Amino acid sequence: MRSGDVLRFSFSAIRLRKMRAGLTTLGVAIGIAAIVALLSFTGGLQVTMTQQFEESLGTDTLTVSTGGILALFGGGGGDSDFALLVNDTYTINSIEHVDSSVATMTKTISANFSGDEFPLSLSGINYTAYTSMYSTFVAGNGTIPASPADTDVIIGSSVADPWQNGTIVARVGDEVTIIWTGRVNGTIVMTNYTGTVVAILEKIGGFGISGPSDIGFYVPLEWAIEFFETEEISSIVVKIDTDVEDEIDTLIQEIEDAFEGLVSVTQPAALLGMMEEILGILNVFLAGIAGISLIVAGIGIMNIMIVSLIERTREIGILKGMGMHSRTILGIFLSEAMMVGLLGGVFGIVAGILIGNLIAGGMANMGGMGGFGEAFGSFSGMPEIIPVITLELLSSALVFGVLVAVIFGLYPARRASKLKPVDALRYE
Amino acid sequence: MNEEDFLPKVIEIRNLTKTYMMGQVPVEALRGVSLSVQKGEFIAVLGPSGSGKSTLLNMIGALDRPTSGTILINKVDVSTLGDNQLADLRQNVGFVYQTFNLISRLNAIGNVELPLSIVGIPKKERRFKAEVMLKIVGLGDRMHHKPSELSGGERQRVAVARALINNPSFIIMDEPTGNLDTKTGLEIMEFAKKLNREHGITLIIVTHDPEIGNQARRIIHLRDGLIESDEVNIDA
Repeated sequence: MRSGDVLRFSFSAIRLRKMRAGLTTLGVAIGIAAIVALLSFTGGLQVTMTQQFEESLGTDTLTVSTGGILALFGGGGGDSDFALLVNDTYTINSIEHVDSSVATMTKTISANFSGDEFPLSLSGINYTAYTSMYSTFVAGNGTIPASPADTDVIIGSSVADPWQNGTIVARVGDEVTIIWTGRVNGTIVMTNYTGTVVAILEKIGGFGISGPSDIGFYVPLEWAIEFFETEEISSIVVKIDTDVEDEIDTLIQEIEDAFEGLVSVTQPAALLGMMEEILGILNVFLAGIAGISLIVAGIGIMNIMIVSLIERTREIGILKGMGMHSRTILGIFLSEAMMVGLLGGVFGIVAGILIGNLIAGGMANMGGMGGFGEAFGSFSGMPEIIPVITLELLSSALVFGVLVAVIFGLYPARRASKLKPVDALRYE
Repeated sequence: MNEEDFLPKVIEIRNLTKTYMMGQVPVEALRGVSLSVQKGEFIAVLGPSGSGKSTLLNMIGALDRPTSGTILINKVDVSTLGDNQLADLRQNVGFVYQTFNLISRLNAIGNVELPLSIVGIPKKERRFKAEVMLKIVGLGDRMHHKPSELSGGERQRVAVARALINNPSFIIMDEPTGNLDTKTGLEIMEFAKKLNREHGITLIIVTHDPEIGNQARRIIHLRDGLIESDEVNIDA
């Protein structure tokens, strides 16, 4: 029998039971739609996050801290008593391939802008060094002073406009009271200081991980040392002048050796890699969930095909009686499953693309991603996520749909093909 | 030397036995049947139910293999064939069943085309042949009707057209009038006789109805899996 005739014959059987075939197809379509929607969305998430990372971290910097990777998120201090000091930048600067280094002291404070009080993460930095290290440390309003006075405070755009709706809490020239409660030489002290906003940074966007951030609150490092009565700093960002992996590895080793292994050196690129790995796991997890729905659909296919096989036992007998080969019977039943898989796949892809965009649209409207947003600071706005729909994703979704249909169709099809013509013809 | 030896034999059966297992119990449906069929013969196989008629028919139609003995169809020994070769052999046999066995979702012409489709004949050619065949059986104006829209007699004529379409070496009819009223049954039999007489088509009819059997030129009586009698019917 010609393959075209096999398909035509299969199709006539599907057409006879439109409702049943339709529902089975729907099952496959839902599975495929879930796969396409979830994977295109996480694909978009990955692209956005990678972009944000590359923008806000730069790939030519290393972070030296006592607290491992957490230091990048503003956390400091590991378990040990060891602390990085301001002067340690000199040690680092003397190592080969180090271009420059900037010490950052991070403290959690309350900032009071004429009545509106916010908990913020304060960073004590050298303005000049920070400007040369990060291209995003640029004033949108006011100017970044070259030789700042102790009271010169710089804030991120989200601090000035926390709700991004024009409700301004701080302008250049406004006074701000910094309230800090902490431990100095063993005693708990609560102290405050009033500074003046001299500059508001241009909007940076992103998640605000390391480097300048929209929710940043910056004071001169010298003043921070004085105010917090400590030379302990949270991290040192090192600008390097090489992108050769081996040299970077050696450099990291040398920094660690210089501090007797008590510091950890984090490479943003490595962090990016880790983030991508997490997203990869998320991807597999989501695809797995979607895959389960597809397997359920597959069982549905198997179920209706077994019913169809029983209903058509006599037909199989008639066909075999006319000299149809078992292989052709197998082909007829498998193509029925395949058509359901293919049709479900096509509908599923269309629905999946729509749903993926819908999820992304919903995210953008929410303006934040719940827990995620919290982790990086409540001021952080959610960047737009555009679902990534690649030909590879679509074709593999389609192939997967057809494959599931064929695999689950194989058993009923084989059973049909193995029927003995005598028995099948006798079947009532 | 008698006349039979000059004509080619389409079927040759020697000492054919077939034992089925009905659950745990073996049933000897055929217990040593020998007969041969020449081209152009019109044979009726008669016998009460349980006589082994259907089993013999399954053997002749290459639907099943014997337990012992040989059956040659067009000089090919059925007992040595694999499933695919058996299927190929069936492409040269026309079947007409008591219950018509048409595919209900296909129209008359679709059903008649089916055997041609199985052997891979292109659409245009088989459509043309099927149209011609349906006109021969007198259904030229009912070609696009589904079996459910046809009367019993019309359905059986579609089945006959389907059996004839592949130009088979012989046609097996299993109680072809069993589901038809007497008048329609006789019409089908008249048509069958005409096919045999005018087109030389070899016909084997299996029936329990002596009236139908009497129209054949050779009558074989089966009883308890054995041939009771095999004689020429001078009345036909």
